[in-house]
Amino acid sequence: MSCGDPHDTDCREVLAELWLLLDNECDHARRELLRRHLDDCGPCLEEFGLEEHLKALLARKCGGDHAPDALKQRLRQSIREIMMR
Amino acid sequence: MPADSAKPGQPGSSLDRTPEGTIVLGAPRATSEELPPPEGAEQETPEQRTARFERDAMPLLDQLYAAALRMTRNPPDAEDLVQETYLKAYGAFASFRAGTNLRAWLYRILTNTYINGYRKRQRQPVEQPSEEITDWQLAQAAQHTSSGLRSAEMDALDRLPDSDVKDALSQLAEDFRMAVYLADVEGFAYKEIAEIMGTPIGTVMSRLHRGRKQLRDMLTGVARERGFLRDAEVAS
Repeated sequence: MSCGDPHDTDCREVLAELWLLLDNECDHARRELLRRHLDDCGPCLEEFGLEEHLKALLARKCGGDHAPDALKQRLRQSIREIMMR
Repeated sequence: MPADSAKPGQPGSSLDRTPEGTIVLGAPRATSEELPPPEGAEQETPEQRTARFERDAMPLLDQLYAAALRMTRNPPDAEDLVQETYLKAYGAFASFRAGTNLRAWLYRILTNTYINGYRKRQRQPVEQPSEEITDWQLAQAAQHTSSGLRSAEMDALDRLPDSDVKDALSQLAEDFRMAVYLADVEGFAYKEIAEIMGTPIGTVMSRLHRGRKQLRDMLTGVARERGFLRDAEVAS
């Protein structure tokens, strides 16, 4: 669905590729085209902002676990034992 | 332990594939004879190899453990999975070519170990997501929502505690969960995820798209339950 304003690239097409842009998986020409559309189209830009936000949120909240020290020690020991064989 | 379909370091294993010559997770066998061996590889003693493994692979342990936690969804299984992964990796480390992507190589072993061992043991029903590209393209063609709703949604998501976000991720179907985790938390490129998960890139894109969509819906729902977002503000 379009936002109603005329664009060179249809909003529907842009929305379908927002993730590619976000994940840095577009080639240069495509990236420029999408960027130009986002400069012109507020609703698409906002949608992009939210998706970008969600991606950053996941990175911030779902990583960063630390392996228990006991596991690290156990592994180092196992590796040394295997090496000695 | 069940037989692995892709033992690291064996000729012809998926670790050594070089699709389109773009990602090299292991030593490409076909060309290894033409190339000089990795520096010092021929003379490398077990002690040197162990030191190299401890220097290069051990610092990635926390990351691998975090991924294992997202896969198994419980700490004891995650510990076992990481331990098995690291011992396999150590055993195959002689064939690992210095300078290639060690992190992706380790994730590949982690994923294989999980699929071949833990998932079978857990006996959870394997969800079969639809992989049609057209499906996600159509789904993505959703209309714009009004702008006030989106900023309210953004604010609400920010207020969620970490545990809510982790819980939501853990509720995604396994293939979706891994694709989203590898892309958004670990920052892998689509091609690397395809290698790690052993699937075509189109499948990765489909899983990512659907996983993120489900996650966003889920998180919006949680934010509403917590009172961070009023019903009228939910953009859906």
